[in-house]
Parts: sequence; C-alpha cells; structure tokens
Amino acid sequence: MSVTVDVPVAVPAAPPRSARGTGWDRAFEILCFSAATLLLTALGGLVISLVIGGWPALSKFGFAFFTSAEWDPVQEVYGAAGAIVGTVVSAGLALLLALPLAFGIAIFLVELCPPILRRTIGTAVELLAGIPSIVYGMWGLFVFAPWFAKHVQMPMMMSAKPGSLWEKLTAGIPNGAGIFTASVILAIMILPFIAATMRELLMTIPATVRESAYGLGSTTFEVIRNVSLPYVRTGAIGAVMLGLGRALGETMAVTFVIGNAHGFPTSLFSPGSTIASTIANEFTEATGELHLAALISLGLVLFVITFTVLALARLLIGRQQNL
Amino acid sequence: MNVQLESPPETAILEIAPDTVKLAIKDLNFFYGAKQALFDVNVSFAANAVTALIGPSGCGKSTLLRTMNRMYSLYPGQKASGQILLDGEDVLSPRANVAAVRARIGMVFQKPTPFPMSIFDNVAYGVRLYEKLSKADMANRVEEALRRAALWDEVKDKLKESGLGLSGGQQQRLCVARGIAVKPEVLLLDEPASALDPISTARLEETIADLKSEYTVVIVTHNMGQAARLSDHTGFMYLGTLVEFGETEQVFTNPVTARARDYITGRFG
Repeated sequence: MSVTVDVPVAVPAAPPRSARGTGWDRAFEILCFSAATLLLTALGGLVISLVIGGWPALSKFGFAFFTSAEWDPVQEVYGAAGAIVGTVVSAGLALLLALPLAFGIAIFLVELCPPILRRTIGTAVELLAGIPSIVYGMWGLFVFAPWFAKHVQMPMMMSAKPGSLWEKLTAGIPNGAGIFTASVILAIMILPFIAATMRELLMTIPATVRESAYGLGSTTFEVIRNVSLPYVRTGAIGAVMLGLGRALGETMAVTFVIGNAHGFPTSLFSPGSTIASTIANEFTEATGELHLAALISLGLVLFVITFTVLALARLLIGRQQNL
Repeated sequence: MNVQLESPPETAILEIAPDTVKLAIKDLNFFYGAKQALFDVNVSFAANAVTALIGPSGCGKSTLLRTMNRMYSLYPGQKASGQILLDGEDVLSPRANVAAVRARIGMVFQKPTPFPMSIFDNVAYGVRLYEKLSKADMANRVEEALRRAALWDEVKDKLKESGLGLSGGQQQRLCVARGIAVKPEVLLLDEPASALDPISTARLEETIADLKSEYTVVIVTHNMGQAARLSDHTGFMYLGTLVEFGETEQVFTNPVTARARDYITGRFG
C-alpha cells in the first residue's frame, strides 16, 4: 500500500522576515543616535564657548583667578575664590541640614506613618517641591531673615564667649542675610526633592524583604538601617547628589538672602556670594570686556564643580554596585 | 451489597499528645480589615516534627503562618483574636515582645529575599541581632548554617560577594541558612520551593527533613508529593477553616472529611 504524502505547494509565502522593517529600524536607530549626539555636541559647544568667552579673564589672571578672593570691578581685578567657597559652603551646609530631615520624612512616610497622615504629608512634600525659587527668595529675605536675625543669630552671638571658636563662627552683622540663611533656604528647597525621591525608592523594596528582616527579630530601626537603606543605597546617593547639584546652581533664592558681599565668608553669618548669585547680580552691569569674561569664567567654574559632583556620584554608585 | 456509611464529619482535627506540643493555636480568628480570613482555628504543632499545611489557593494557609510570628502586625488593618501559645506563652498577647517572638519563630518566604549585603553577612545578620559571637564562632555558625542549607560547597569561596548575585535556587537556600543560623525554635516555610528547579527542590527537601531533629517545622505547600514526603502531620484548610488535621499518612491515604478527600484525590483544587 502506498502512502501519498501531499506536499503543500500552495502555502502563501511568508513575508521575508529578514527584510521586514529593517529600513524603519535603521532609521529609528539613526534618530536615537542623532538625539544623543546632538546633546553631546551641545554640551561640548557650551564648554568651548565658556572657555572662549572667559579666556580674557583666565589668561590675564592665570591660576590666581581661582585662588584670589579679590573681586573689584572698579580696579578690574577678578578672583573667584570667594564665590567658589561661598557656593561650596552654602550648598554643603544645605545638604547637611536637609539630609537628616529628608531621610526622616521619607522613612516616616513609608514605614511608620498611619495611612491617613500619609497622603497629607506626601502632598505637602510635593507642594514644597513645586514652589518657584523666587518665592523662596522673597520669603527668605522679608520673613525668614529678620526672624532668624532676631531669634537665632542674636542669641547665638550673645552666648558666645569672647575669643572662642564659637564667637568666630557666629560673628557678623545680625541682619539675617548671610551664608547660613542661604543654606537654610537652600535646604528647604532641596529637602522635598530628596525626600520624595527617597520615598519612591523605599517603596520599591519588596514587602517580603522587609518582612524577612522583621522575621529574624529585627526592630523597626534595625530593619531600616540594615536592610531598607542599604537596599536603596545606589538610588539614594544619586538623589542626594542631584539635590546637591541643585543647591550648587540655585540662583534666585540665594541672591536674595546671601548678602552679596565679595570675598571669603568669615563666619557662618557673614554675608557672602555664590557663583550663581554673583553672575545674576552683575551681568547687567558688566560693560567692560574683562568683567564679562570674568563672569563667564565663573560660569565655567560652576559647570566644572557641578560636573565633578555628578562624576563623584557616578564613581560612588559604581563602587557600591561592585560590593 | 450496598452499605450506607454514616455521613463523613465536617471537620476532623487530631489532638496531639500534650507533652509533645510546641505551638498551640486556640480559637484563632483573623481579619484583613473587615474581611475574615481564618475561622476558629484550633490545632497544635508537635515539636521536632514537620507539619504540612495544604489546601487550595486563598484558603488561609499563608495567613495562618503569618499569624504565628505576628508578621501581620506590621500592617495596621490586620488583626487576630484567640491565642497562639509558644511553649505556653501567648504570642498574640499585646505584652509579647514581637521582635523576640520572631527571633524564636523563623520564617522563609515563597520568593527568595536576600538582603543587600554579602553572603556571609546575610547569614550572620540575624545572629548579630541577638548574640555577640567572636569572629571564629561567627564563622563557624555561618558555615554550619550554610552546610545545613546545602549551600556551603557552592559559596564557600565567595562569602564576601553579594547575596544578590546568586541564582534563585541558591538565594532561597541562603534564606533558609539565614533562618536557621539564628537557631529558632520554630521554622515557618511558606511555599519555599515554589520558585525552585527540581534539583534545588530536592536539596531543600533534604534540608527540611534534616532540620526536624532540632526544630519544629511548619511548611505551607501546593505540592502534594512534597507534603506527603516531608511531613509527619498534615493539615488541610479550606475557606479559612482547618478542615482536617492528622498523621500525614492517614490524611493522604484515608482522609476522614469529604472535602479533604475530594481535594487529595484531585476532585477540586
């Protein structure tokens, strides 16, 4: 008995798969690639134009531009050290003030908060993040600074023993405008960002991981310190660094309350300036070529500082991941 | 011949000899908010034995497990009434020290939950909470736990590496090691093998069989074969009620209640 096997001949030919859509895919790749390249080019162009624009000042003062704190538009002598120190110190202090609060808020919201309060506080944090910086600046100058001068700065100055380090730290005109006030305002500004990001991060921890830690007999504090925080370590470093980046570059609010004095800040309460506040204050009056070049060089320095912070964050994150 | 048997009982719960009881549950009711999930559960678990809890999904097996170490009290809406006596001490009492209870009653979850730290620290973590050991003692304790969890040979050369880098099966055995390193008295296992491949499952089963010489083990499982192989006692739950509880052999070969019989013979489930 013979078996005939029907070989189907009339099967409609499948569209050639290798050919399908490759043209589009290629175009898509090119589009994405150009988007990325465009960004890189813009970044490169920005750096180059900053260097070119700032060159007259950089070449005239040389390395002294970074080490001298003398900033005198009348004599046409420009040194950025005062503004650099003011920037780093005010942002650093702000981070110091904001970090414990932000972590406290985030941990409370995720781990401890009764559900009714959670919404209210969560919304408040988000609202705080949405306030424009100029509003913070105005509030800082007209409301916070006078209050701060009267109720914090004065008592602190009065309590200082003559000749002590504390006296040096608290010296200054008690008008409320100074480095520390700027730090407080900056802290309030970066706090919601860090708190909201930390909250999102903590919420990504699987319930069973936390339960496992509780299951071994940990207290709430032990779970948070040993398991929850390490679990989100990478993201937390990123959040903190982005917050620091924002504090470094913040302009309006700081310009309002920092006192805008050139030179090194001599105490916590002495008026000072940051790179961003100096640029904001002087760019309209920078008529001389050298003055403008000095301001552009300041911009370059700020760029380098922010870039360094982000690079450090990258490095830290990379090291943590290798653990 | 047509013999009319008397109709089977609704529930059949074996009483365990009082001197062997490690954990006794009395009149336990449990609520997720307004929804009741456990109804009047009364059962005892024997020391140095493995008790399996079986039943269809959503029948309350895992919930029962989560009441025993007060895991539910992490969540505000969940509450339990009744008593759970660990060596005669009520775990559910508001006066009970929850952290201390959980240190005595260990738990391993369905999915592996390694902590974000090294393999060594994962195992040492719980031990450090309650004991101050010298470096050498701690190393011994960790090695012993990893050996018992059948993981030592695979990780002994990379104890400093992150626990997150292990495979799923290895992570689960790491969690078992972490659970037994603290030397709990009771070990609760919530479908510990459901995410494991057959080889890892076999290893884990060997570990569990070995553990009962020292611990009271309660295991929730969907795998009937596993329950039959591993356990001394088996409890069958349905819709939040413990329907049948007895010697494993009896429950599997000759279930008394109609529901247990239907489930075990595969009529529903």
